[in-house]
Amino acid sequence: MIVGERKPLLELKGFIEDYRKVLIVGCGTCATVCFAGGESEVKVLGSALRIAFLREGKEREILEDCVTRQCEPEFVDKVTQRVADEKIEAVLSLACGVGVNFVAEKLEEVPVFPGINTKFFGATVEPGVWVEMCAGCGNCILHLTGGICPVARCSKSILNGPCGGSSDGKCEISPDVDCAWALIIKRMKKLGTLDHLSKMIEPRDWSTSLHGGPRRVVHEELKPVQAGREQD
Amino acid sequence: MEDQVATASCMAACPVQTDTRRYVELITQGKYEEALEFLLDANPFSSVCGRICHHPCEQQCRRSKVDAPVGLRMLKRFVVENTREYRLLRRKWIEPSREEKVAIIGSGPAGLTAAYDLAKLGFGAVVYEKNDLPGGMLGTAIPRYRLPWAVLKEDIDDILSLGVDVRTGYEIGAGIGINELREAGYAAILIATGLSESRTLGIPGIDSEGVLLAIPFLRTVAGGRGASLGERVVVIGGGNVAIDVARCARRLGVEKVTLVSLESWEEMPAWKWEIEETVQEGVEIQNSWGPRSVFTEDGVVRGLELKRCTAVFDEAGRFNPSFDEGDVSTLLADNIIIAIGQWSDLTCIEGSAVKAARDRLEYEPETLTTTEEGVFACGEVVTGPGAAVEAVRDGHRAAKAIVHYLDTGELLSQPVTKPPCLGDIPLDTAKKIKQRAPVIPELAPADARVRDFSEIERGFTEAEALAEAKRCLACTTGALADEEKCAGCLTCVRICPFGVATVEETAAMPQELCQACGLCAAECPAAAIALKRFGTNRMREEIEGLFAGIGMREDIHPLIVSYCCLFEVTSRKLVRSEPSDAARTGVARVMVPCVARLSVVDILAPFELGADCVVIISCTEGDCLYPTAEERLSARVRRAKSILDEIGLGGERIDHWRTERSAEVSWSAFWELSKRKLRALGG
Repeated sequence: MIVGERKPLLELKGFIEDYRKVLIVGCGTCATVCFAGGESEVKVLGSALRIAFLREGKEREILEDCVTRQCEPEFVDKVTQRVADEKIEAVLSLACGVGVNFVAEKLEEVPVFPGINTKFFGATVEPGVWVEMCAGCGNCILHLTGGICPVARCSKSILNGPCGGSSDGKCEISPDVDCAWALIIKRMKKLGTLDHLSKMIEPRDWSTSLHGGPRRVVHEELKPVQAGREQD
Repeated sequence: MEDQVATASCMAACPVQTDTRRYVELITQGKYEEALEFLLDANPFSSVCGRICHHPCEQQCRRSKVDAPVGLRMLKRFVVENTREYRLLRRKWIEPSREEKVAIIGSGPAGLTAAYDLAKLGFGAVVYEKNDLPGGMLGTAIPRYRLPWAVLKEDIDDILSLGVDVRTGYEIGAGIGINELREAGYAAILIATGLSESRTLGIPGIDSEGVLLAIPFLRTVAGGRGASLGERVVVIGGGNVAIDVARCARRLGVEKVTLVSLESWEEMPAWKWEIEETVQEGVEIQNSWGPRSVFTEDGVVRGLELKRCTAVFDEAGRFNPSFDEGDVSTLLADNIIIAIGQWSDLTCIEGSAVKAARDRLEYEPETLTTTEEGVFACGEVVTGPGAAVEAVRDGHRAAKAIVHYLDTGELLSQPVTKPPCLGDIPLDTAKKIKQRAPVIPELAPADARVRDFSEIERGFTEAEALAEAKRCLACTTGALADEEKCAGCLTCVRICPFGVATVEETAAMPQELCQACGLCAAECPAAAIALKRFGTNRMREEIEGLFAGIGMREDIHPLIVSYCCLFEVTSRKLVRSEPSDAARTGVARVMVPCVARLSVVDILAPFELGADCVVIISCTEGDCLYPTAEERLSARVRRAKSILDEIGLGGERIDHWRTERSAEVSWSAFWELSKRKLRALGG
């Protein structure tokens, strides 16, 4: 899932300070699961902001909403409609950056502020702890590294590790961070494929990552079909 | 939200299907009057059942698998004992709104319950009772040490107050019979005459002086007229009537009372707890013996000859005792009292078209009809021996059948079905539920009990009732996940202290397993979990209600919202939270059935609504009903504090205390400490 973390409250308060009527919109998928922006977090944030404004004697109307996913037009349409109907002046999105972008595109004249910092693609390694596991680089090499990603999980993203900073299975940046290459070696030993590592992984084409500009995936078969047009 | 699963076991077991969970919950909320309303709605004989009900609800209570059942009968008794004034005030004469009148023959629990229902629906109900007192066996035969007359009178007076006309000393039969009742204009007649006559035995010597029948004996005793018994009394029978007879004999001063039962100890039909109490009171029980003959001297009883009973039931399970005539024994006795069963006095049907086969009315169990149109029958006269609460059930059914008949001219079929029942709690879940000993008031010592006919059992004190009510597992009133909102995040699965929540695609909390602790709802990031009891919006609604009632709350400084554990109070003084209290003390109390269900939003909400401080008071340390709940709540309190810190209000405005000893002892001190701190902070 995409993992995020709510921004500091005062920063968020600063975003919306000048608007009288603000809608906080949660996202019912990744942001919910990582406790950053689900319906409960919307309520907590709404409450905290109302208390903060109340304390300053400022009249602010803070409204709350949550949609299934802020990255789908059908779900976002509900938000845009509400914003228009209720004359909402600003939106605070608790979705990942995707949701913020998407809602912002749809809400042409109403500002959309990010409520969370989008951190990474990660997994729940234990309840309450999420760790990055994928960098979304667009050209997966996990088949070469025992299913453990050096791009996301090695601090240097090196493809032929470990480096000299690996010690007792930990990365030199912090004793809390596992050395991805130590994990890869351990795993490949178990798989009996350690010898594969004797072959150098070639330098990569990073154009599939952010170096090639914004990326796009198209499924032609899913594109809208115009009503009345005869099928092939 | 309606139950979507099987009925709770206690409720399913109750013949009148009293929702025990509901009245127990009302007790915990200090709403004793509402609990009474609820009880009387299901059962007009609630005072009686609080004393003598055989409480099948407790026998099926799912808590039995954890430690011991909840004392539901005693809780019912607590309600009726603590609402007497209210009960008098609520009485209301109901002017009949229907022209049709119904005659009821017999004023036992079946007949009076039917009369109660009919009167409530606007029918004139006239009850004919051949004895001088109403109440049937409850009034004339149940010993007073089990059921004081004043207790029965509470129920009967309630019924009479509706306008039910009970004519005592009025035997329907040869003179004025069913035909005459019809001629008198009754649109329907209900026969509910019960089993009022004792059976006797066909053994030699049975007609001797000193041989008594159980029911006439109990009537004499219950009437306070005493009975002259010799030094040694033998009671024949193994059922509850025999037990009553034996215990009465002890109270009449008989030193040597022996109860002879055909059945083995295990097979005895009397309730086990009554058998034990009887033995404590010095009654000797001889099992597996049948009476062979009464031996006499000059026509007066001298003893009883017994023969060994080798089996009570035959291979088909029918009552058909077999004996070993070679294994005999004798008991000396000055009196023998026969308590082997009862039969119905059917004098009332003489001259009518109502038919009876042997001593049972011909009767259709689903429509409650007899062979004569418009004449219905219910209770023990048609069902055979049963418990008081079963007679109440039959009375309700009869009233329903009669009302339908009078409304439509048609018969109503009421199949006798048992609702699907939850069944036992699985062992895995039971093991995770904290044990908590039941509150069982001790009976008076046996030697004191047999001195007179005083009631042997005392009721719960308020503190005891509240402690016992807390033990209810509130089966099937737990969490419900909203599939639409659920993100399948597994938080509920990870948090549930009972291992109940599951996530396939979305979360599910099987109602038959959920313990209603509310922890999952408090933590769910999608706010997708609703609670059937004390819903997730309830905290805010309560505060809004209290604040609305306070009026000028700006004048109250500091204003504290205190979330308090409902289960820590020992009287209802603190359970009820009124705006006037909040205005006077500056503390708006919200009583929560376990404060561990407070979410972070709940903890913040009071500040939004204008409170200066939130004081959470949970149970005594380590005493929470729910495993892990205390730690979970503490973590949420820390989070709420950090939010207040972030916005500059200060986390110190949230206090979390743990009850010390009891609410009454410690809570005011906590509020005072919090107030002082706030004043130091500048309000």
